Amino acid sequence: MSTDSSTIQSPASAASISNVNALFQNAKKYEELNVIGTGAYGTVYKARDLHNDGHIVAMKKVKVALTEDGIPLSTVREIALLRQLEAYRHPNIVRLLDVCHGGQPMDRDQQLVLFLVFEHVEQDLDSFLKRAPGPLSENRIRCMSHDILSGIDFLHSHRIVHRDLKPHNLLVTSAGRVKLADFGLAKTYDTEMKLTSVVVTLWYRPPEVLLGASYNTAVDVWSCGCVLAELHTRAPLLPASSDSEQLHAIFRLIGRPPRYEWPDSVSIMRDSFPDYPPKDLAYVIPNAHPHALDLIKRMLVFDPAKRLTALDCLEHPYFTDEPIS
Amino acid sequence: MPYWYYDKKDLQNTPSFRDGINNDTENRYRKEGARFIIDTGSKMDLGYNTVATGVVYFHRFYMFHSFRTFPRYITACCCLFLAGKVEETPKKCKDIIKVAKSLLNEEKFNTFGEDPKEEVMTLERILLQTIKFDLQVEHPYSYLLKYAKCLKGDKTKLQKMVQMAWTFVNDSLCTTLCLQWEPEVIAVALMFLAGKLSKFEVVDWNGRAPKHNAWWDMFVEDITMELLEDICHQVLDLYSIQTQPSGGESPPLPPAPKPPKNEKKPPVTPPISASPAAPAKTPVKNGAEFYPYAPPPVAYTAPPPRLPPPPRLPMGLVYDAPPARFVASVPPPPLVPPPFLRARSPASSPPILSAAVIAIHCSDCVKVFSLCELRVTKPGRSQSFY
Ligand SMILES: Nc1ncnc2c1ncn2[C@@H]1O[C@H](COP(=O)(O)OP(=O)(O)O)[C@@H](O)[C@H]1O
Ligand SMILES: [Mg+2]
Repeated sequence: MSTDSSTIQSPASAASISNVNALFQNAKKYEELNVIGTGAYGTVYKARDLHNDGHIVAMKKVKVALTEDGIPLSTVREIALLRQLEAYRHPNIVRLLDVCHGGQPMDRDQQLVLFLVFEHVEQDLDSFLKRAPGPLSENRIRCMSHDILSGIDFLHSHRIVHRDLKPHNLLVTSAGRVKLADFGLAKTYDTEMKLTSVVVTLWYRPPEVLLGASYNTAVDVWSCGCVLAELHTRAPLLPASSDSEQLHAIFRLIGRPPRYEWPDSVSIMRDSFPDYPPKDLAYVIPNAHPHALDLIKRMLVFDPAKRLTALDCLEHPYFTDEPIS
Repeated sequence: MPYWYYDKKDLQNTPSFRDGINNDTENRYRKEGARFIIDTGSKMDLGYNTVATGVVYFHRFYMFHSFRTFPRYITACCCLFLAGKVEETPKKCKDIIKVAKSLLNEEKFNTFGEDPKEEVMTLERILLQTIKFDLQVEHPYSYLLKYAKCLKGDKTKLQKMVQMAWTFVNDSLCTTLCLQWEPEVIAVALMFLAGKLSKFEVVDWNGRAPKHNAWWDMFVEDITMELLEDICHQVLDLYSIQTQPSGGESPPLPPAPKPPKNEKKPPVTPPISASPAAPAKTPVKNGAEFYPYAPPPVAYTAPPPRLPPPPRLPMGLVYDAPPARFVASVPPPPLVPPPFLRARSPASSPPILSAAVIAIHCSDCVKVFSLCELRVTKPGRSQSFY
């Protein structure tokens, strides 16, 4: 990094507080090209960075409702944290290149449009898996699994829970490396109505979330376990279409948990589920390395406290027995 | 990622300068704005981190905008307002404006416009865009405590030194040092200065290795004596008597508390011989009066020292570290440490601190330190000190 002398050029020295729009027009830095993703909370555009040789970036638009005291505290905090994380340039986290906003809040409705500018990554894991001509090699799976877990461990070490790990939120670079995206704005999203009616997928949700019990970083390990299985089979491990069906699907796989593991404070009764026996993962994920099966099994544990942590996973023999190439 | 450090040339060719404001005036505006953030923050019981974050935003903001376009006191309010959100010590905008009004005269408060709150709201968006949402700012305070933990020697003296360094860090907010050097470097330099002034010589420290010539080599690579002295001088210059540019737009803001009635008015000229060769026999009544707090705890675990409510001293630039606001849990250390710091070399060659006497004059009151180890021989600027 070096001081770019052009950056100290005031782009709008003629601006005044009452003429903010001019300030932002002059500062228009990105040209939107096309929509590359519409998630539940934002639209992601492919865009050109006009101040940087037309370099292609991914620009996520998020609407923020302004409060009586301006930009909500939670949004300010979340963006501050995202910016701070960026200083570490973790290889398995999508680069956040810039944050800006649309200037004047949109008329009347008191909303501000935030733009989060990310490096553009080739595709997400969902389309990567759909396009894969055949099964991924053992080594490729191991490498991608390690990437995902390294990213999760990094977030957790900064006390960030992703909460929504799934193939759509994992990006795959042209070199086949995986980077985590779409995290860190949970509270901003919460205060915001959804932009689209896209249904949030339940397939990667851990039981504690479905049951409405308290949750922590272990949720991400569960979701990651589902993704690791999917890397092998190229099909979702636990597809279901309602909360209740999702729980049934989970218990059909890992067995109905013992009474003493059922959380106290939830309204859903353990007795409302049949006494499913656990299945052998080797049948569900054929051709997987025994170490991979063991790891996934330890990630898909009902009791969050007994689940491996992301760091534990990285130290599992699946990764340590042979060096990652 | 934005890069927030500038060399001295950049700091002279600012938007304000290009807008016809000379460097001295701009520096005065910066000092007044910073000072105003400090005063407003202290009055609202905001912690030192929030205050310092607000001041850093303020300095960064004026690397992109002119003081002519954006009047300093409202920008200052907005910086403090945003810093409050970032540091999770939020204050209502209208409360900040209320305090600002109480600290400013009418003419200055009029720069806030018809609807001050709306102006601050608008300015918040401009500020965010200008500082590129790079909101999390580190300050030298935590480094002071970290470094102090490693130093060996007389505990009382060490505490006194840290306390003094702490005060220098507070005061350094009124300079543009945060636009020049990383907080680690500033912490080293001001601890070095405090060590000299409090006669605490660091001879041994934990983690000492043969390749280390000085304790700071352990923390920051390539710090030269020239660099340390340059930084110290920038802070010490604050204590020199100000000669106000005549015909300047507005006089420096005097939000500082009124001196106690029994205190004599500070003399206009410092009562010290102009000759650097003559060691000044200055009546330093009591160093503790200048730094009147209980020294920080020796076990420097949690952030800063919990300080008793500071007596209001008539001390222009020396502002009291507000009581520490403790956070119960300290976040776990980050997994990947940020890149190791390397000091850059200073752009211009700074003056030399040699040996004998430094006298520090506050602009509002005169407290003079007579110091045997140091003498300032600073060509052309000597009237700053003598
Ligand atoms: N940096 C990026 N590069 C390429 N595509 C991206 C990038 N970020 C997001 N996308 C695409 O846009 C989709 C939605 O982005 P995401 O950040 O997950 O928003 P949402 O919160 O709406 O789910 C992703 O599923 C992915 O396909
Ligand atoms: Mg998404």
